[in-house]
Order: sequence, then structure tokens, then C-alpha cells
Amino acid sequence: MNMLEIENLHVVVQGQEILKGLSLVIRTGEVHAIMGPNGSGKSTLSYTLAGREGYEITEGRILYQGKNLAPLTPEERATRGMFLAFQYPVEIPGVTTMNFLKTALNAQRRARGEKELDAMSVLKSVREAASALNVPEEMLRRALNVGFSGGEKKRLEILQMTLFKPLLAILDETDSGLDIDALKLVAGGVNALRAPDRAMLVITHYQRLLDYIVPDRVHVLDKGRIVAEGGKELAHELEAKGYAGLARDAA
Amino acid sequence: MNERATTEEFLLQDFAADNASRAAPRPSWLDERRRRAVQTFRDEGIPNRRIEQWKYTDLRGALEGQVAAVSPKQILHSDRNPFAAVSAFQLSIADGCSQVPSSQIPLGIEMFDLGQLDDGAPDWVRQNYGEVLSRSAMGEASLAMMRGGIAMRVTAVTTPPVHLGFLQEANAVHCRLLLVMEPGASLVLLESHGKGRGLINLGVELVLEPNAQLTHVRLADSAPDAVQVEEIGMRVARDARYRGHFSHKGARLSRLELAIELEGEGAEAELSGAIVLGGKLHADVTTHIDHMAGKTVSRQLFKNVAGGNSRAVYQGKITVRKGADGSDSRQTAKAVLLGTRAEADLKPELEILADDVKCAHGAAVGDLDADSLFYLRSRGLPENEARRLLIHGFLEEVVLEIDRDDVRLAVRDFLESGLAKALESVS
Repeated sequence: MNMLEIENLHVVVQGQEILKGLSLVIRTGEVHAIMGPNGSGKSTLSYTLAGREGYEITEGRILYQGKNLAPLTPEERATRGMFLAFQYPVEIPGVTTMNFLKTALNAQRRARGEKELDAMSVLKSVREAASALNVPEEMLRRALNVGFSGGEKKRLEILQMTLFKPLLAILDETDSGLDIDALKLVAGGVNALRAPDRAMLVITHYQRLLDYIVPDRVHVLDKGRIVAEGGKELAHELEAKGYAGLARDAA
Repeated sequence: MNERATTEEFLLQDFAADNASRAAPRPSWLDERRRRAVQTFRDEGIPNRRIEQWKYTDLRGALEGQVAAVSPKQILHSDRNPFAAVSAFQLSIADGCSQVPSSQIPLGIEMFDLGQLDDGAPDWVRQNYGEVLSRSAMGEASLAMMRGGIAMRVTAVTTPPVHLGFLQEANAVHCRLLLVMEPGASLVLLESHGKGRGLINLGVELVLEPNAQLTHVRLADSAPDAVQVEEIGMRVARDARYRGHFSHKGARLSRLELAIELEGEGAEAELSGAIVLGGKLHADVTTHIDHMAGKTVSRQLFKNVAGGNSRAVYQGKITVRKGADGSDSRQTAKAVLLGTRAEADLKPELEILADDVKCAHGAAVGDLDADSLFYLRSRGLPENEARRLLIHGFLEEVVLEIDRDDVRLAVRDFLESGLAKALESVS
């Protein structure tokens, strides 16, 4: 079954067309990687999938679990199992990380018609996820992302992913700003979530992350279109030739 | 001019009739002071927007028509006490009148009913009453037409907070509060204002002798039919410390004015507060902190949230006088608008005449951050819940200024319920 089908997607942001006919299919249980240079449209794709305002689909369509994604609000997408790990997680002063996690978790459960979890059950689930990702208890008491290091922010994104158990996880440059130890930790967290009923889209500029999260398919994005596709070896080829070299081959 | 005469004279006549009917005492020592207060009120009149300090808040406009329209008294609203969970000595002041109990007053505190102000008033009342608050039109009105109020003297370090709960049913009430903190004394003063209607004009005088410490937390519930004016005048002596918190949900018109004189070396004033408004409510906090002596410290943190057609105002003036060297003053005011029809005004003002001072101030009005809103929604929070959480976070910085756990919880709950209402009035 297809988790995500993107057909001939055109997206306009602030009057400028950024995605120009992007097509992609991810089947349930698969991990796909999108690689591309700066400005190729990687972040536009992730924001469009998550439903950010101002990302207008002018042509083509996105099917998520076989249904048109466009009419859904960001929160509806989240409650239907979509999760975006942000490249730059947002700082929210005055809201403790724990309070945020509990509010989000219960908002999703409520929207799905499930029973809300009490504070103790939430705490238990959060603690389990936190210890695996080396997130200290003290971090959960601080305001969300405020004063967190780059690595701490990314770990917290993966912690959320662990907690929300999404069906489709999109990781937008989760490797940026991480040293090798932090990268391994984050990749370990992601790999632990690989499952037959879950799909992932890993967006990255560098091949390095894909040594740790090994994808089933690699797509190369350039100027708003997929210009090359292949197996995991494509990432290495790209690393050797660079984006320019690959673009020449494709032409 | 005719209209103007009508409203001021109406208030004076209304008071005279009420006073006669209650056969209120008339202390001779106060006669001259009262006459001058009436004169000032008549001469200056109810403030209007042509007066610089009142440019965002049209008190005259709000009172004309409202106060003059005689209406029957209503039953007091059954107000929820915002400090219900705080174990405090509680005193209700209804239409300016209170029953000061003869016993049960916490040790180290004396209380005197200003409604019984006569020639037998204690010296500490006679020395301070009417001498601290600036002689503005409304401050003088509260003295000239005082129906009652409370005077308190604190002579020791006291433990249980004192809670003054103001209630109102009359058309127009002028009321006074005098608090004298003797050297080294300390007190937690809680002040609450319920729904009410008509005009309540409260004049507050606070005297902090050397090393005294006063924590003052004021919560004013939304009062869509009321015009609330409160002017607070304060003298802070050497090494004394005042911490004030002021949160409001607004009234038809609410004006809180604080004039603080840091007159002794090392005197401190820390102010924080939040205004959370919806509907057509209006709230104005105006402060003036005067650093008169060296090494004085002031801190201000105010955050306002306006939804619907409401308007939230903060004006803060800081003066550092010549010779007040080593003074340190910080002021931050921020406002968030929940819709295009709401309005927020922030006006910080600095006047520095000393050479060696530290002053920092900032003010900003804005919308909720779009990135933050999208982030929270992408985590499954519906838009209204995401907004609510962001504003909760915005206000939390102010709430965290309050030291006592029980009072902090009370303030947080108070603001949360105000927020729910403010968000409702945003379509």
C-alpha cells in the first residue's frame, strides 16, 4: 500500500514557484531519502506536506493513505499520523517541555476519539522515550527549546516522534548542526522507529546521515524536480560527484 | 462646559446626599484639607484625553451619561474570590464600607475604619491621610467624597496575608486605603475587585518606612459595566522594598495609576502585571517611578493581551533625579493583539538627570508568532488551543515574578480564565 503519493506537484511560495512538477511514491514500511542542494525545494516540500500556510499547491496533488491531503489543516495531518521533525525547532517561552508534550499528546488522542492520558501515564511514556535518547529530566522542566543546544533540540524532535508514533515521519535536515555522537544518537532513535506499518522521508543535504539511517530509496531534488532516483548507493555516488556532476549526468 | 459641570456636580451632590443620610462623622482637623480637595476636583475636572497622561483613556467620556443616569441599586454580584485558595485574613469592603473586626486581626497589624474618621482618629492616620497621594483630580475626588475605606498600620513582620475584597453596588463610590509600614515591618497585601457597576474611585496611600517590605498583589476581575479608577501614591524609604503585581481583566474603563517615590537610599520597587482583555473592555496601567535617592532600584515587567474590540494601555515614566547616582532601573512592556480590532498602546518614558545610572527599557506590540503557531499545530494542537498555549507562555513570565506559591497559582488561574474569555471574543 502507498503511504504517500505525490504527483506532479507544483508549489508557489510568496509568488515564486519552488516545486515544479515533483513526483514521488513512498510505500508503507519504506524509508526514502531526498537529497538536494540548498534552494532545491527540500524545506518547501516538508512544509507543504505538513500544511504550512502560504505554501500553495497550484498543480498536481498529494495523496496520504490514498486520500487528498490538501484540505487538511496541520493539526488534522498530525492526528492522522503525520509528523515533521523540524530543521529549526521553535522556541516557546513560558511553556514547559513536559506541559507541551502532554498537551500535544492529548490533543491528538482527543481528535482521534481516544481517551486522554492522565499526567502520570504521560510522564511514564515521556520518561521512557527520554532515557533512550539521553534527554535529561531537567530538560523536560525547561521552557520548550528555550536555551537548548542544537543537539538537544533535535533529540527533542525525535523524542516527540517516539511519543506520537506517527505513520509517516518527515525528517527535515535532522542532521544539520549535529556532531557525530549526536548524529548517531538521533539516527539510533529514528532506526528504532522503523516498522512495517510506518514510512519515513529523510530530507538531507549530506550523505553522512544516510550512513546511519539507511534508506530503501534515494531521490535527488534539484530546482523543484526529482532529477535522479536510485537505491542507497545513489547517496554515495552523489557524495563522490557532487550535485553538479549528477545534474550533468542526468542531462 | 455645561456637561462638564453636570458630571462633577452630580458626583458632589450625590455624595452630599448620601453623607447626610448616613450622618457620617466630620472631623474638624480634616475640614480644610477636604475643602481644598473639592476645589481641585472642581477646578481640574474629570480627566479627559486632552491631558497628556490620559491620552489613551477617556474617563470623562466614560463617566458622562453613566454616572448621571440614576439607576436603582442592584444586588451584589456573587463574585468568585480569586484568592479563595490562599489562607488570608479577609476583609470585605462593600461600597467603601467595611466592618473592621475587633478581634482576629493578625498580630502586628492595627486597623482603622476610615468611614469613622473623626477627631478621635489615631495620630498615624492624621499624619499620613491625604498627604502621600498626589493631588490629582481623581485622587482629590476620592478624598473629598470618601465614603469609607481602611487604614492599616503594620508594626512587625506579619505572616498571614491580608486580603481586602472590594465589592460594589452603588452608582458611584469614592474610597480610600492608607497603609503605613513601620520600620522593618513586612506584609503581604492582597487586593481583589469584583464585577461591580458604576464608578469606583479608590485612592491608595502606602508608606514604607526604612527596611519595611510590602508585597502587594491586586487582581481585578472583568467588570463590563464598571468604571474603575485607582490611584496609588507611595513613599519608599531607605532600604525598604515594595513588590507589586497587578493583573486585570478589564472594565468598561479601568485605570490604575502608580506614583512611587524611592526617597531613601537603597529603596526598591518591583512591579509586574498583565492585562488580559476581550469584548469592548479597556484597561490602562500608568506608572511613574521617581528615583529620588542614590542606589535605588526599580523593575517593571508588564504584559498585555487584547482581543475583540478591547484596548490595553501601559504608560510608564521613570525619573532619575540629579544626585540619584548608582540607581538601576529596568522596564519591559509587551503586548499581543488577538485580532485586527483590538488595540494596545505602550508608552515608556525616561527622564534621567543623574550621571551614573543603569537604565534599560523596551516595549513591543505584536501578533502571535506565526512560526510558533505552526509548530504547535503540526503537533496536533487545534489552532485555538495553540494560541492559548502561546499566550499562556507569554503571560507566564509575569506570573513567575510572584514568590509565594499559593498566590502565584491564584494569579495563574485568574489569568487563564481571562484568557479563555479573551480568545472567545476573537472570531
